[in-house]
Amino acid sequence: MDSPRQEASGEAQTISSQAGEDSALVAAVLQRDRKATADFVARHSDDLYRYLRSRLAPMYDQVDDLVHEVFLAAWENLPSYQGSGPLRAWVMGIARHKVEDYYRARLRAPESIEDGDQEPVAPPSTSDFHQLLEQDELRKNTWRVLASLPEQYRLALIWRYWEKSSAREMALKTGKTEKAIERLLARARAEFRERWNHGQSS
Amino acid sequence: MANLPDEEFIERIAGGVELTAEEVAPSRLKAKVYSALMQRQAATSPLMSLTETKACGHELCIFEELVRIAPVGEKAKSLNICRVCHARVLAERMGNAPIYWSGCPYVALKNS
Repeated sequence: MDSPRQEASGEAQTISSQAGEDSALVAAVLQRDRKATADFVARHSDDLYRYLRSRLAPMYDQVDDLVHEVFLAAWENLPSYQGSGPLRAWVMGIARHKVEDYYRARLRAPESIEDGDQEPVAPPSTSDFHQLLEQDELRKNTWRVLASLPEQYRLALIWRYWEKSSAREMALKTGKTEKAIERLLARARAEFRERWNHGQSS
Repeated sequence: MANLPDEEFIERIAGGVELTAEEVAPSRLKAKVYSALMQRQAATSPLMSLTETKACGHELCIFEELVRIAPVGEKAKSLNICRVCHARVLAERMGNAPIYWSGCPYVALKNS
């Protein structure tokens, strides 16, 4: 069995080898090496796609465009990649900014809850909340409720509670007042709760 | 959970549920992204020539190899020849494009 010191040394070697690989790939892409560019797309497209799908659900028609935008922005900014962190994290950082831009644009629009009259939340397979604590069921139910919410409510909740932005940051980025964001979040939380409970009781 | 205020209720859910999707990027999307990047790169300056690309240890596809050994200047070998290749067209339009030859970036993306 490896000692903790050997394990730590192994981890350090893996990180260092990954960093070397990332730097080499970036250098090759910047030299306009076509095969390296294909490798760059192959390495990051699945992670990006999954992340963007999870943050835009259920507006999947926007996902492909955002994947494109992230890759083009990454290519344009590649000379600024310093290699101080993993390339994957750097690319995902660009994706997070693009998601924020998307949320900002959508939340700046006048608030509409017309699309809230979508399909009612389907009841979960069990009415026992303790069983809902099973991770998979909880996840499915969360998706179901989020997907049924009006877009502005859904985006506000994901931005605040899953992307961990503060109401102040959201206000700054959307050009709304912090109070307006707090009110939006309060309505979104109440609607989420109501739909969640509706799913429980029906 | 039933008696929790709304804020705490959703914080608990967000803390316990990671919003992740399981799908992988469709190969058509990968192909289109790659084409867009190549177009963007080629628009600003020549691509690495096929001679250099091979010297870097990359495998070239049959069409790239033909261009590489053709009696033309390095400038011609730096063009984005995938732009006129049927493999690109098929890869951008079909989920499981019938393209199989080795060294082709679109085949590599399809299989990634």
